[in-house]
Amino acid sequence: MTELFINDEEVTVPAGTSILEACRSNGVEVPYFCYHPELSVAANCRMCLVEVEGWPKPAASCCTPVAEGMKVVTETEGLEKDRAMMMEYLLINHPLDCPVCDQGGACKLQDYAVEHGMGKGRYIEAKRIPTDKDLGPFVNTCMTRCIHCTRCVRFADEIAGTGDMGVLNRGDHMLIEGIVEDALASELSGNLSDICPVGALLDKPSHDVSRPWEMKRHKSTCTQCPQGCDIEIESRDDEVMRIRPAKDGVEPWICDRGRFVYDAFRSENRLLKPMVRQSSGLQATSWDEAIEKSVELLKGKRVGIVFSPDWSLEGLTAIRLLHDVAFEDCKVAFELHRRDTRPFAFEEGLSMSTKAIEKADQVVILGSDLRQRLPILMQRLRKRINSGKPVTRIGSMFYRTNTTMAADMLIRPRDWAAVIASAMVQLTELGKLAAGMDAWLEKVEVRHDAGKLLADALIADSCALLVGEEIRSHEDAAALIHGLDLLMRAAGHAEEGKDGRNLLPEGMNAQLLSSMFGDLRTSAGDLFEAARQGEIDTLLLVGSDPIGDGLFSQQAKKALEKVSLVQVSSISGEMGQYADVQLPASAYSEVEGTFVNMEGRVRIADNPLRSLGEERPMWKVMMRLVQALGYDVPAVSLEEIRSQILDLSPVLTTLGDAWSGKDVKAMFIPSARNRKITTLPAALPMKTLDLVSRYSMYREGAWARVSDLLSEAGRIHAMDDVIVHPDTLINLNLQQGKLLIVSDTEEAEYEVGLRTDVSVGVVFVSKRGAAGDLSNVASVELKGGQ
Amino acid sequence: MSSSKMPKFSKTRLAEIDALVKRYPAAKSALMPVLYMAQEDFGYLSMETQEMIGNVLGLKIMEVREVVTFYTMFKEQPHGKYLLEVCTNASCMLNGADALYAHMKETLGINPGEITEDGLFSIAEVECAGACAGAPVVQVNNMYHEKATAESMDALITKVRAGEAI
Amino acid sequence: MISSDPTKVTRICFDNIEVKNMHKLDVAKKQGAYKFLPTVLKDFDTDQIIDEVKTSGLRGRGGAGFPTGLKWSFVPRNTGKPTYLLCNADEGEPGTFKDRDIMRFDPHLLIEGMIMSGFALGVKDAYIYVRGEFLHEYNVMCAAIDEAYAANLLGENILGSGFSMNLVMHRGAGAYICGEETALIESLEGKAGRPRFKPPFPAVEGFYGCPTVVNNVETLATVPAILEHGGAWHAAIGKPNNTGCKIFSVSGHVNKPGNYEVPMGTTLRDLIENYCGGLQHGDTPKVVIPGGSSTPWLLGEHYDVPLTYDDIMKAGSFLGSGAIIVMDETADLVAVTRRLSHFYAHESCGQCTPCREGTGWVERVMNRLDAGQGTEEDVKVLFDASTHMAGRTICALAEGAAAPTLSLLKFFPKDVQAKLVEKSS
Repeated sequence: MTELFINDEEVTVPAGTSILEACRSNGVEVPYFCYHPELSVAANCRMCLVEVEGWPKPAASCCTPVAEGMKVVTETEGLEKDRAMMMEYLLINHPLDCPVCDQGGACKLQDYAVEHGMGKGRYIEAKRIPTDKDLGPFVNTCMTRCIHCTRCVRFADEIAGTGDMGVLNRGDHMLIEGIVEDALASELSGNLSDICPVGALLDKPSHDVSRPWEMKRHKSTCTQCPQGCDIEIESRDDEVMRIRPAKDGVEPWICDRGRFVYDAFRSENRLLKPMVRQSSGLQATSWDEAIEKSVELLKGKRVGIVFSPDWSLEGLTAIRLLHDVAFEDCKVAFELHRRDTRPFAFEEGLSMSTKAIEKADQVVILGSDLRQRLPILMQRLRKRINSGKPVTRIGSMFYRTNTTMAADMLIRPRDWAAVIASAMVQLTELGKLAAGMDAWLEKVEVRHDAGKLLADALIADSCALLVGEEIRSHEDAAALIHGLDLLMRAAGHAEEGKDGRNLLPEGMNAQLLSSMFGDLRTSAGDLFEAARQGEIDTLLLVGSDPIGDGLFSQQAKKALEKVSLVQVSSISGEMGQYADVQLPASAYSEVEGTFVNMEGRVRIADNPLRSLGEERPMWKVMMRLVQALGYDVPAVSLEEIRSQILDLSPVLTTLGDAWSGKDVKAMFIPSARNRKITTLPAALPMKTLDLVSRYSMYREGAWARVSDLLSEAGRIHAMDDVIVHPDTLINLNLQQGKLLIVSDTEEAEYEVGLRTDVSVGVVFVSKRGAAGDLSNVASVELKGGQ
Repeated sequence: MSSSKMPKFSKTRLAEIDALVKRYPAAKSALMPVLYMAQEDFGYLSMETQEMIGNVLGLKIMEVREVVTFYTMFKEQPHGKYLLEVCTNASCMLNGADALYAHMKETLGINPGEITEDGLFSIAEVECAGACAGAPVVQVNNMYHEKATAESMDALITKVRAGEAI
Repeated sequence: MISSDPTKVTRICFDNIEVKNMHKLDVAKKQGAYKFLPTVLKDFDTDQIIDEVKTSGLRGRGGAGFPTGLKWSFVPRNTGKPTYLLCNADEGEPGTFKDRDIMRFDPHLLIEGMIMSGFALGVKDAYIYVRGEFLHEYNVMCAAIDEAYAANLLGENILGSGFSMNLVMHRGAGAYICGEETALIESLEGKAGRPRFKPPFPAVEGFYGCPTVVNNVETLATVPAILEHGGAWHAAIGKPNNTGCKIFSVSGHVNKPGNYEVPMGTTLRDLIENYCGGLQHGDTPKVVIPGGSSTPWLLGEHYDVPLTYDDIMKAGSFLGSGAIIVMDETADLVAVTRRLSHFYAHESCGQCTPCREGTGWVERVMNRLDAGQGTEEDVKVLFDASTHMAGRTICALAEGAAAPTLSLLKFFPKDVQAKLVEKSS
């Protein structure tokens, strides 16, 4: 620790802290533009000058480390003159266009001009007029306003990892420029407009739409991926205008999916009124009539429930209550991405905070397109890699990460057992054992080199294993996860406090789903199959879109043609064409509610926007159905719902503290562990090629699909619908072009594209592409086209 | 960018670059020498050339662009076969560089950024060449002509036009 | 041959500058090049070399005048990282042209100095960063380095000493700022040459984050003589705290502009009148810029100033790189300042606000002023814009940029007034 004096006050800060950080942490305001706590220090704006006793010149506080006994002064006449001059330098080439600038009212340059500027500039020469750049659908440029702080350049290099922003030329010809093909390559690009301290980089979709002072701000939780980022929803007249990272949130950034989904809130596809199908199609009606119609379809019928995990806990609890009261024997599915419904040795959810993952000695990603699925976790890993720490990856594709893996290996999904087996052999040789390993090993004959990468990482003191969708969705997932569990136990990464077993979840609230619904879990595929075969009369879909998302679209389509459909949702979407009744549920922006992210972190939204139409919180819709079906209503208020939650599972007691207002920042709900698993790998019949369904962050999820902004990005960033490695074709004596894909159930021709960054022997289909319905197939044959 | 438009280094050049990269702790250090090579081979650094160099050295196009645009000796536009660079900084100025520069522009009938019709000359005003004892200094393709005069430069231009060695 | 009697020494780096074909190894060897190198590699230990250089009082010849031995002693040992030696041959300060002559006429002196310095610092890879315009010098140096490799003066196990060092020539490409040592490092890393803030200092975290020493050509070329004759010998040349000889590049309004190496402490008048053939016009100069265009101006009254770091500082300026630009009574000082302001605006790397915006602003105002369109308000702007960029930036370029303007305003207000639109009474 270092003691120093700031404006005669003695303060103590960690050694090596910059003067600026010392000032910030002690409530002393020093103006700055280029400094950003999450970026490297550039020290170029020179606004943060302070005086240090005994020093001949003012010092830039952002890049000057504190020293013992140092006497810092932040307010002197000389400094005020310097700051006034810095403002004058900055403003000589800056246009006087605050009235038409989106940043106006939330602009550092404007604020400091008032606070430190001279009022009138003396510059009478010609101004610099750099041209604007097209950086794609999310970021607008107005480069005449740029003050060259290079925050955006450092962001692109260090945070996004894309390096597509840079500094051209020199002197006062210096120019910030982006080099992009159609758009910035980063999935975090929306943050650029946040970090730009002036109006040079702006949020494109909200350009010229509103002014900062017109906005109401609502703290909320993003449910667009299991990361569950803290967001601030900006609204005007109850309409969502923008979404930004919450200022004191856990993560400093949010991804473009979570941010630009906002236009979905006012999409025409929003379900704002109860709808009932008439001969002429769906017609708006009253709640009473819609509920009556729902009861008609549900009461005394064989019902199947499929729901999305992204609702608030209160909503999910209400689903459970509805089930227990009214449909005790019905099938319930909530995982559209899980083929294997046997219990996993470690269930979905993280055992570590993302911060702990960043700091671990080793991190291994197994089969995940992490950048698209969990962009903020990937950013943490990028930060980790920037600081020189390794990340190992094994999977079917070198998914783009915008950083460099320490070790990276391609495998086919069918190789996972062999990979795990190899790692087991290696650990065994090192004397690291776990009971049950022998039995597991016995079932696997082949070995795979990638196991060495895994074992090498496992022998570190701490290791975070990030198990991704390629394993979670595997037909033999329970056995593979059991194998990984054995490895982690053998390597000492399964003990309390050192648990590195993280199964990356598909949606929000993973920890709770297992404890609240684990006993009811049915495969969504099986449920749809049962419906197709006439074993179900009515499907109650709560927020779920099984055609748009997940593995089972083919089965879902067939099922939906057969059964009646009661849809409870915020968005009509593709399900609208099948629905007999639609009950509008409030969007996540519109609810008071509790969410649990993949870390098990509890988040409470308590300042919702008003409903745009007649939609009601989902828990209320469920309770209304309970009542209309003729049962006693178990909860009539949020408090009552919450007390029901606490009764459901002992792991949820933490929530009580959260609701009573205690600080829940460091509270984590653990993910479920099943210690008694003995599931062993099985030899499954496979066709020649593995099939992997590719995820797009811009095109999956009901909200994303009705967002024009994300759809545009999805179009820009799309890869070919069907992809194989060139060697796959060579091995099969095939030429690129239209090829026949043959699965157990059907065969069809598709245009096949080539990439060299994918595993040989695997066919990749884009979930939202032409061949998306093949997503439920684990293996196929590829044959020559006509 | 279509590969057909992409300029290519010869095999000899690529071997030279391989050897060059080994002299530095990281390949990026070889960027400036490689830009010089490209300028020698292709005359100037088009966007395609810059992209190609990025690929050869494993750099992002922005990393190449940042360097090309920072240094004045990297040219993004074609110039005449002979680039006449007149220093007009203090010591040369004190010894008549401004008049010399004006004279040469008039003789050639071009301004900076232009090429004479015969494709032979371009002219530029440059900063101190570090040869102030020989002020005024004119660099002709980076070879120094010191104590340059209107006459000596006229003679040089005539010689070049006559196809003689300078 | 340099005399081992310090009182008889008048030149060190230029001792063989007139020798024909000195750039060739065989000629250089006949003149004594590399003669003492085996002794250094065999009998000297690294601390001893650093001590000798400290004792010699040698101060960096690139401009800042920082004691070389002290700079070397900042390099941490046993960091597990390589230590790099970079020779700064980016000679770009207007008025400076001394390193060019060392490189083109006596390249082996520099190479020998680098081998000895590299040995002292435990360097495996050394680089010479030469400004891009010096193509001829680059070629001469490359040829000399090739010869040195062939003679096992560079490369593996130099002269059987067990010490190995590589030396690589690297061309800049037209950026004055790369003469600043951290900008040079950035440039050598293949980036735009934008200076880094300090700390960390290059001695600790320099080239690719490793300990790095950056020394000027003349500095390194002085090392062989110091090691051969001893630090005390060098310390006895010149003046206390301003030891040794110094090459002065004299240009502008003198009859025989050129490089002249003289013992430190020689007076300005002596240098100009007895070496440079006197002024083109008049008896006393109107302005002398003593250390390159970035240093504040001296006036006729300083004609007898001894050329030492300390005396010139006392007179209000800096010795800098020893680039003396002489202006006699015929000089149009407003025009010269206008031209220099263009130089700094053109060469500012652009990262720091005051320099990026200030240099361009000053240039545009100077253009108007020199064209007879200036006003009193402009004079104030020039003063403010120059004053507040100096000392407020990462590197010293802004300070250099401010020097001519502030000198003009301070010493020649009448010359400025004479060009204003409305002359004040």
